[in-house]
Amino acid sequence: MGVTRQPRRAPRPYLTYAVQRVVQAVVVVLLAYCFTFLVISVLPGDPVTATLRNPQNNFTEEEVQRIVAYYGLDRPVWVQLWEALSRFVQGDLGVSLRSNLPVSTLIGDVLGSTVVLAVSALVVALALAFGIAYGTRNAPAPVAKALRAFPSLFLSVPNFVIGLLLINVFAFNLGLFQVIDSEGPAATFFAAIALGIPVSAQVAEVLIANLDHEARQDYAGFATSRGLSRSRLFWRHLLKPSSLPVVTVIALTVGELLGGALITETIFGRTGIGSLVQRSVTTQDLPVLQAVVVLAAVVFVVVNLVVDLVYPLLDPRVDLRGAARAPRTAAEQPLETTQGASA
Amino acid sequence: MSHTRPRRLWRSVAALTAALALSAGCASSGQGGAAQGNGQKQEGGDVTFLIDSLGDTWIPNNSAISSFQGHIWGHVTDKLVYVDENGEVSPWVAESWEQNDDATQFTLHLRDGVTFSDGSPVDADAVVANLDIWAKGRPDDGINPIGLFPKTYQSATAVDPLTVQVSFNAPTLGFIPTLGYHGSILISPETLALPAEEQADLSNDIGSGPFTVASWKEGDSVVLEKRDDYDWGPEALDHDGPATLDTLTYKLVAEPSVRTAAVQSGQAQVAYNPSPQELGPFKEQGFTVAAPRYLGFVNGFALNTQVAPFNDVKVRQAVQHGIDRDQILSTVYTDDWLPAESFIQSNVPGATDHSADFAFDPDKAAVLLDEAGWKAGADGKRSKDGTPLSLTLYPNPYLATSKSVDELVAQQLGDLGFTVDIQAYDVVTYGEKVAIGNPSVPAYEVTRSFIDAGTVAGVLTDANNGEDWFNLGQSDPELTQLGSEVASSVSTDERAPVLDELQGYVLQQGYFVPLTQIVQRLYLQSPKLKGVTYNGVAYANFYTAYLEG
Amino acid sequence: MTTITTEPAGSTGSAGPSGGWVPSALRRRGSRRRAPYGVLLSFGVLLLVLAWSLAPGLFTRQDPAHGVPADAFQGPSTAHWFGTDHLGRDEFARVVHGSASSVTSALVAVAIGVLVGGLIGLLAGFLGGWVDVTLARVVDVLLAIPSFLLAVVVVSALGFETINAAIATGVSAVAVFARVMRSEVLKTRRAVFVEASLLLGGSRWHVLLRHVLPNASRSVLNLAVLQFGLSILVIAGLAFLGYGDPPPASDWGLLVSSGKDYPLAPWLVYAPALVTIATVLSANRISRWLRNAD
Repeated sequence: MGVTRQPRRAPRPYLTYAVQRVVQAVVVVLLAYCFTFLVISVLPGDPVTATLRNPQNNFTEEEVQRIVAYYGLDRPVWVQLWEALSRFVQGDLGVSLRSNLPVSTLIGDVLGSTVVLAVSALVVALALAFGIAYGTRNAPAPVAKALRAFPSLFLSVPNFVIGLLLINVFAFNLGLFQVIDSEGPAATFFAAIALGIPVSAQVAEVLIANLDHEARQDYAGFATSRGLSRSRLFWRHLLKPSSLPVVTVIALTVGELLGGALITETIFGRTGIGSLVQRSVTTQDLPVLQAVVVLAAVVFVVVNLVVDLVYPLLDPRVDLRGAARAPRTAAEQPLETTQGASA
Repeated sequence: MSHTRPRRLWRSVAALTAALALSAGCASSGQGGAAQGNGQKQEGGDVTFLIDSLGDTWIPNNSAISSFQGHIWGHVTDKLVYVDENGEVSPWVAESWEQNDDATQFTLHLRDGVTFSDGSPVDADAVVANLDIWAKGRPDDGINPIGLFPKTYQSATAVDPLTVQVSFNAPTLGFIPTLGYHGSILISPETLALPAEEQADLSNDIGSGPFTVASWKEGDSVVLEKRDDYDWGPEALDHDGPATLDTLTYKLVAEPSVRTAAVQSGQAQVAYNPSPQELGPFKEQGFTVAAPRYLGFVNGFALNTQVAPFNDVKVRQAVQHGIDRDQILSTVYTDDWLPAESFIQSNVPGATDHSADFAFDPDKAAVLLDEAGWKAGADGKRSKDGTPLSLTLYPNPYLATSKSVDELVAQQLGDLGFTVDIQAYDVVTYGEKVAIGNPSVPAYEVTRSFIDAGTVAGVLTDANNGEDWFNLGQSDPELTQLGSEVASSVSTDERAPVLDELQGYVLQQGYFVPLTQIVQRLYLQSPKLKGVTYNGVAYANFYTAYLEG
Repeated sequence: MTTITTEPAGSTGSAGPSGGWVPSALRRRGSRRRAPYGVLLSFGVLLLVLAWSLAPGLFTRQDPAHGVPADAFQGPSTAHWFGTDHLGRDEFARVVHGSASSVTSALVAVAIGVLVGGLIGLLAGFLGGWVDVTLARVVDVLLAIPSFLLAVVVVSALGFETINAAIATGVSAVAVFARVMRSEVLKTRRAVFVEASLLLGGSRWHVLLRHVLPNASRSVLNLAVLQFGLSILVIAGLAFLGYGDPPPASDWGLLVSSGKDYPLAPWLVYAPALVTIATVLSANRISRWLRNAD
């Protein structure tokens, strides 16, 4: 996807395209690492010095200096960045300033919980989105119209409100799950709903728009005129072409699941990447924050890389200049989706 | 794109509203009353303790004074002496002790047969290693000294396997009580020799306490199990042998309402730091609310006497008289809280009642402000020579109720004509921006525990590297004199009258504005849980606790 | 990742083979139709919230920061529409007074997104070459970090205040605006009339001001309205986590966050939550209408 390439140039061979995309991905991850470091280093202050200077501790200045030196926080920012970066390239994520534990241990301990949550949320989101999309084409008119409002509504409700509501109703009142058993299947299910609802809205929007688009195609009209039922039309003809673009939407919402996990995990009391970020942010634990940002960037980049590399193979219509990948853009930019679909 | 009928949108909103209202209605009809025990003491049993944080690092020296981790350390480790909630010091791992006449040398006699959970003995060498690390830490390896450990510490030596001699370069009356402070936990010398990164793994931290660490997960939970061969609990607790409970699980649950709801439904036995205002219904249902006070300073403001408007004693006194402590107690707290009587908690040995010096009297406060030249304008706000009478409060992030208290104080002082701003920070930013003596911090909100009233001498002035809470330096000769008399006392009997005079002086000068006595550790407990004890720093101890059937 | 380099679907769908921007059919259809009731209602909601934030005193006489402690935890009533909180303060007054910072900070966030993102997109699209390549990588990095995580990291670096939360939210929106602006610029640049203008000797600046910006502004405005709603959500999320101004400030997210500690007074959560939802829903509705009316 050469940025500088003019779309009128001839398509490049697949291999060049693939190599270029991989190199770009690596550059983006490294830049994300540096970016986080620089952003957080803007502010003076770190968990170590803050604790040490708490008057209650009554440490002497000499003691404070020596401890700060142990953490390497007395060196200039660029030296710290260089050391962090060279460690990072070798796969060493450093040591948490807050807990004194290796960052890789901290992340390794909680990664599983977040992956389970994110995957469940994705399943919930897809189920909801396909349910809504199916309803818009097959349910009785008033219901179908109401269903079309759902994505917009889902996108307007803060996800912490969804979480609080679910806990209040299903944990406190109905007793369907226990909040203190936060990693149990029931609690995970409800946390996945809270996290999945905003994502389902985006998937549903694209899906509905694409279904509408397909339904206006000649073949659909032809099939209907030959007496094919709406439900059959949906399953046989509309669903498949409309679903392919959903793959790209999913790739793009992966980051959102991680971001949303910040709030959802906090509310549901889960021990995952999100709550780790929460604890690290309030203590400005730079090595942990850097690692999480990079992890998020890696996940996002890899998922999108895979989609980008696989998509041209799946869909011959996609030309490698990237100009014709309408569904993909639709996913990124719901604004344009409907423009495209209604045109 | 087909158009969504707007009515549908709003109907969805209406449906959501209905759902919300429904759940709101249900919320009040929660679970029924608490299940009372049958009065039968159970052997064994498991207790789950829901806590709002598990602190940061587990390096013993860096975490022992944490309000959260102190709970775990209190069960995994022992201390040399025990200090109860009235400041009474009694033997524990140290069976007895002596001091010389000027309180510069102490001899500790250790109990025989005490072992760390790895089997090694808690002998004189181990105690010396601990004293050294408490006093000096290993700064170059990232291990802090223990805050508040006497800076006068010189050395400790093992006289024989059960006798330790400790020397100070100045009278240090507070040494023995400090050994019962939450920082002074006995850790195996092998652990103390480990690098910081390994000490940070709680599983590597070996103590001699009635419980050992079975498992732990950062930011999630710590599971402790009882040590069967434990038989050296503090005499004062009147409990021999191992603990009754089998396991103790500390589980992090950030939301106060979730913690209390879990205790209510019987999924957990203890909720730490519930919001005080939610406690009423729980008490009616028979749940136990424990609000032990710690030994220390009361919650209040240390005023910066060098910046306007608090460079005027009348304004300082006006603030003292302008605060309605009963309203704070009834709005933010419950009747488990007590109003302040001095600037130290009333359970500290040597604390005396000076509440008359700062009683709520808005008329008197108004007169004082008038006299000081701060006149009320048309909007009720006072000013002098065009300068508004303003004040910024910085709620202390270590006290959960601090924001609510400050909001109320702002309201009360606002009625007096002050313009009050509130600026709240997280712990890190607070440490960075809100320091005692900083000109932009006119009133520093104090929440601090200590074991010995002698600590007071170290905060009043800048003498002997003191903290200089009121930014006076040593410009107030009387305060400096009283402070040094307290610091150099060699017996508590000699110290008591000076301490009384000091409290009166500080309060009459308006240097400190007491609010309420502080309950930094609040517990909501299942009625089945009995026999919990609280030490001088208000940590709940489950060594003596048991469950009823 | 790839987003800045892709063409929007609109161009492939609605534009001719030359890539020109000829949405006239759409525009005609849109302008003929009156705004539906839902849109009018949405405008009403936004205007009301805007009015709350400009002149809160007109809507409530109660003091948002000064309550009657004896009246704490009263349910909604005619005296207190949204009930009272733990210090006996009127929740409706707090919501109304809180709208100023909630709405203003969302506007600040959008402004940052439009200006910074717009500039990046404009430069990338208009200058092309290595400028485009460099800016594309910057945007790629911003896109690769989940926007809420990015906002949290930025606000933690700047300090926990509402204005910083607004800036952080704006930063996290920069990439989206840059991408849309760039693709609009490219689209317009390739349009026949622009190429003609260049051939006829029009200066690049003239082309930029006369053709490129006016054409791009429509998409950007549309996105700005959508982003306004999103920003309210992000800022509320940050305030909910405690990264905004502390009490007695009354940002909507903060109100929900402090209200959740009192399960016996659920209106403290639901009142600010519903106001937030209504506002964001309205912004989304208007954005959708603008898009279709284009």
